[in-house]
Amino acid sequence: MKRRKFITNVVKASTASIVMPYILPTGRLFAAAGSQMADHVVFVLFAGGMRQQETILQRYLDDSQGVNFPGNIMYNLFNGAAPTDKIVYGTDGAVPGLGDVPIPKILSQTFQQQGTIFKEMRSATTGHYGGLNGLLQGNTLSSQGLKRKPINPTIFEYVRKHLNLKATDTWFIGNGIMNSVPLLNYSLNEDYGVKYGANFIAPNVVFGNDGQKHLSNAKVYDQVDELEPMYKTKEFLDNVWGTVGSGLVTIDNTEQEKYDIKEFLKYMYANPSAVDMPAVSDNGDATTIGYALEIMKWFKPKLSVVNLNNVDVCHSNFTSYLRAVHRADHSLAHLWDKIQSIPSMAGNTIMIAIPECGRNLDSNAIHDFNDFYAFDHSDQNARRIFGMMVGKNVPANNLVGSENNPIGNATDGVLTIADIFGIKGQIPTQYLAANSMSMFDNL
Amino acid sequence: MNKKIFFLVCLFSIIIFSCKKDVSYGVDAINTMPPNAQKTKLKSNEQYISILYANLFQKALSANELVEITHCIEAFGDKETIHEVIVSNFMNKPDVIIPSDSIMRADIDIFLTNIYTRFYVRDITEAEKEYLTKFIEVNPAFTAEMLYTAFALSDEYQYY
Repeated sequence: MKRRKFITNVVKASTASIVMPYILPTGRLFAAAGSQMADHVVFVLFAGGMRQQETILQRYLDDSQGVNFPGNIMYNLFNGAAPTDKIVYGTDGAVPGLGDVPIPKILSQTFQQQGTIFKEMRSATTGHYGGLNGLLQGNTLSSQGLKRKPINPTIFEYVRKHLNLKATDTWFIGNGIMNSVPLLNYSLNEDYGVKYGANFIAPNVVFGNDGQKHLSNAKVYDQVDELEPMYKTKEFLDNVWGTVGSGLVTIDNTEQEKYDIKEFLKYMYANPSAVDMPAVSDNGDATTIGYALEIMKWFKPKLSVVNLNNVDVCHSNFTSYLRAVHRADHSLAHLWDKIQSIPSMAGNTIMIAIPECGRNLDSNAIHDFNDFYAFDHSDQNARRIFGMMVGKNVPANNLVGSENNPIGNATDGVLTIADIFGIKGQIPTQYLAANSMSMFDNL
Repeated sequence: MNKKIFFLVCLFSIIIFSCKKDVSYGVDAINTMPPNAQKTKLKSNEQYISILYANLFQKALSANELVEITHCIEAFGDKETIHEVIVSNFMNKPDVIIPSDSIMRADIDIFLTNIYTRFYVRDITEAEKEYLTKFIEVNPAFTAEMLYTAFALSDEYQYY
């Protein structure tokens, strides 16, 4: 009897020690986290308002210009034959400006074959900033103002806080600094906020003309003989100031991380030709992807969010829009292809791509040099978007939803990433849209 | 009853209006706030860069360059790091105006007074003077450029 009681107690104690909540280094008491599906996530905010008709529905000019020329111009993403006539979306062949040479396909298997496509999702809003906030906050806050940092925590803050990550483990890579994009790397939320924010970089600026001119010629100081006394003096000055004021509100990289970032900048300025650009990199989205790859190679971020938006040229130029859509597909394929050769990320990454919004059903009055009409984004059609997931533990060859059966929302991105990292249960639901859920729960 | 009330009123009047001991001993009251306490506003990126440039080059930054450098700051999330990179680039320009180390060490007092006026637009306190003078004296490799950089990157310099 005693022996049985002893064994029972041992089993109880062992069970308790396994399931008992434990304290994370964040200082908060949490129940045990779920298992991780992959060690890295790349989330592509794709790519400035994509119209369902020219993307997943593969109608090319059919549903926009009133001419019967359908076809798939995103043949890395989706299965389907490319248009056979009226090719204007490629690179220039013999005649400059014609765009009549489609970019060769990169992937041997489309993302549709490798992963899961959500055919018909709904965006948070029909605008860019609201859409981007929806993707990063998991909410459709009507009170979220333009030119204002996110009100509710972003996915960067969730993963940094609940996985106890350092700042350089999360990167937000924007293709520019317009449309308040630099504000999206952390929220104003008191429980999260800047101390859990991501490093932001707009590489086309930092490594473009402005950066080359003003950042590339940094003086090299000796770490011990020069930098240390300089920092010590700064520390003294800051301590004096600290009695009356605060410092800059900024991302809390450690000294080692700051050093690492400066070394990265130095490397990039010294080796501009080493950037792993897509074969066709004649727009800002493509170059952003090239620089994003360099950030991934250098820092191996746990979470990388890449924002593309060249597609938005559709407000005034439909031909350029088609080219940007085609290049976004090409760039996304290049990104995924090259991730497979980054140590620790290869075979251990999930990539998600969701547009922040779609585009209108009807055109506006502007027509371009091909006489194609342009499209804005403000009607119900602009809420129609698709979604894509690929990588470790993502079901392959999987189509979810249809035109008549929409499944999933843009706001699902946050819980999906949390799900991948095993922290879904730790995300406070009051900050999320009521219908927000992990895309894995929709499979 | 009336007498009692009259007595109490007199008593309170005496207490209220009686002489007070002068504890000032003829010394005027002074403001004991720290000298930098009035700086409450964070400089904008444009303000920071144009003031920094004026302090280091003693001339105004062109409008074009101001926009370009401001873009560089906006394009980077870690403001401290990007400020450091920008200052470091400024220090590498041939026309930056930094006093020589021999001038700094010839009269540290005056040098420090001038740098506080230039960067912080205020007088140096005795405590600050004491610390920095000793720091410069015991670190012979410490240069004026390093001191300028520390001021340019300091938290107080971000405010006005």
